[in-house]
Amino acid sequence: MGGVISLKGLSKRYGDRFVVDDLSLELKPGTVTGFLGPNGAGKSTTMRLVLGLDHPTSGTALIGGRPYREIRNPLRTVGALLDARALHPGRSGYAHLAALARSNGIPRRRVEEALETVGMAGAARKRAATLSLGMSQRLGIAAALLGDPEVLMFDEPVNGLDPDGVRWVRGLMRSLAAEGRTVFVSSHLMSEMQLTADHLVVIGKGRLIVEAPLAEIIAGSSLTAVVVRTPYARELAARLSAAGVAVARQAENELVATGAPIERVGDLAHEAGIRLHELRTREASLEQAYQELTAHSVEYGAGKAEA
Amino acid sequence: MSILWQAVSAEWGKLWSVRSTWWCLAGATALMMLSALTLGGATATEALRGEGAPSPVVASEPVVSATSFAQFALVALAMLTITSEYASGAVRVTLQAIPVRGVMLAAKALVVVPAMAAAGVLSGAVATAAVYLLLSADLFGGLVVLPPGEVVADLLAVGVFFALVSVMTVGVGTAMRSAAGTLTVVFMLLMGLPLLLLMTGSQAALDASLRMPLFAGLAFMGSTDNLTGGPIPYSAGEGLAWLLAWTAAALVAGHAVLRRRDA
Repeated sequence: MGGVISLKGLSKRYGDRFVVDDLSLELKPGTVTGFLGPNGAGKSTTMRLVLGLDHPTSGTALIGGRPYREIRNPLRTVGALLDARALHPGRSGYAHLAALARSNGIPRRRVEEALETVGMAGAARKRAATLSLGMSQRLGIAAALLGDPEVLMFDEPVNGLDPDGVRWVRGLMRSLAAEGRTVFVSSHLMSEMQLTADHLVVIGKGRLIVEAPLAEIIAGSSLTAVVVRTPYARELAARLSAAGVAVARQAENELVATGAPIERVGDLAHEAGIRLHELRTREASLEQAYQELTAHSVEYGAGKAEA
Repeated sequence: MSILWQAVSAEWGKLWSVRSTWWCLAGATALMMLSALTLGGATATEALRGEGAPSPVVASEPVVSATSFAQFALVALAMLTITSEYASGAVRVTLQAIPVRGVMLAAKALVVVPAMAAAGVLSGAVATAAVYLLLSADLFGGLVVLPPGEVVADLLAVGVFFALVSVMTVGVGTAMRSAAGTLTVVFMLLMGLPLLLLMTGSQAALDASLRMPLFAGLAFMGSTDNLTGGPIPYSAGEGLAWLLAWTAAALVAGHAVLRRRDA
């Protein structure tokens, strides 16, 4: 119960436009939940609503059954990184974390530990304005980890990180979830999400498009298919079509079947007595699955920057 | 430890961890000294030119008048404690740590009180010493006195005045969010509007002008020589009451905006 993030009918309207539209979700401890959606889909707004920074037009966002504002010393329950650049340019990372620690009664040694964890103990005394975006991200992650919270939220945490940094963030998310924490992370990098998330929430125009385990979303893609290699491709194609399986002939002796599990394709071939040389599943990438899911709700076309 | 105390402690650490704080304090001290020396020199010169035996200048009296100018360096400092957070977006981090809006505002307001009171007393003391040294010179006929009781009372009053003006600025800054807007509103309250009203010449406008923070502050600090041409026609206690009222109004406005608007 402790670390559950639960949204019920959460909505946020600016003028006559719903940025978040009737969103209901339950995010559970022990999993990394990836939060996906096109630019302007309402991901950042949703996170701000959960953190009590913005007021919802209707609905509720609760963490462990309570609204954020009612949590005493909230940094010890919820750690969040929304915008790595949201720092006073003249303050050092160390002073920034020290102030956050004081505000929530977190022991000072946690500042050093968090800086150590994100690998920026050496740059902790530098003024924030002199930090690279990658370093700011690390500092923001340190701030989120400061209170050893059971719930963690990150908005685009790998922005500006180098490949080592990206891999480090991936490992960090996985280990935080393995420790039983609730990890909610938004990202644009599908390949990264595919490696990091267990569970996905996809929204578009503020509405929930799909919420499901990563594996289920990939399996559901039309691009996830069964590839069969056989010297009797034409016979098998006819057989599969007759059984209602969509099939395409990809090469002289290769077929691609969609809309049927690999077991069914194998069984149908066996029943027809057709010899197979290869039978395998070709999984869609998360990127492909995501493209299909959001094809109808892309708010802004190419060339627009994330808000 | 109470939530408010934790928040105050955090804000206190933030205040002293940026260079701009020291620049503003240095600026305030320099402005206090320059304005007090100019005003003190002018008062002494005038006294020398007058008829009969010239009465000596209390060294802290020009310092009280100098607050009208030096206050803006501290207004800038008080303003930055809130507007710099809105400019960078860091206010969202602050509100994540201190989600109860009133506690966040109270912490910011409480932090500037001791800082600005001390800044007022110290910069006032430096300026008083400078005025005393200048007017002790033969050029000004040594027309200066340093009565300890009066000087201490003046310096403490300057400290209280700066503290209240700074809290007022925090309130306005929270309501306005931007540095430009805050500076405009605070300048109009502390200087623009009272002078404008003073110039209209009507009695009602004059009465209103005298109740604004500029003259309420001077009344509270016991100024005898200012733009109205004489002492403010009400007591120091009433001056303090008006100052407190303006400060409270600014805080209420700041809190209302802070609660209602998205961060």
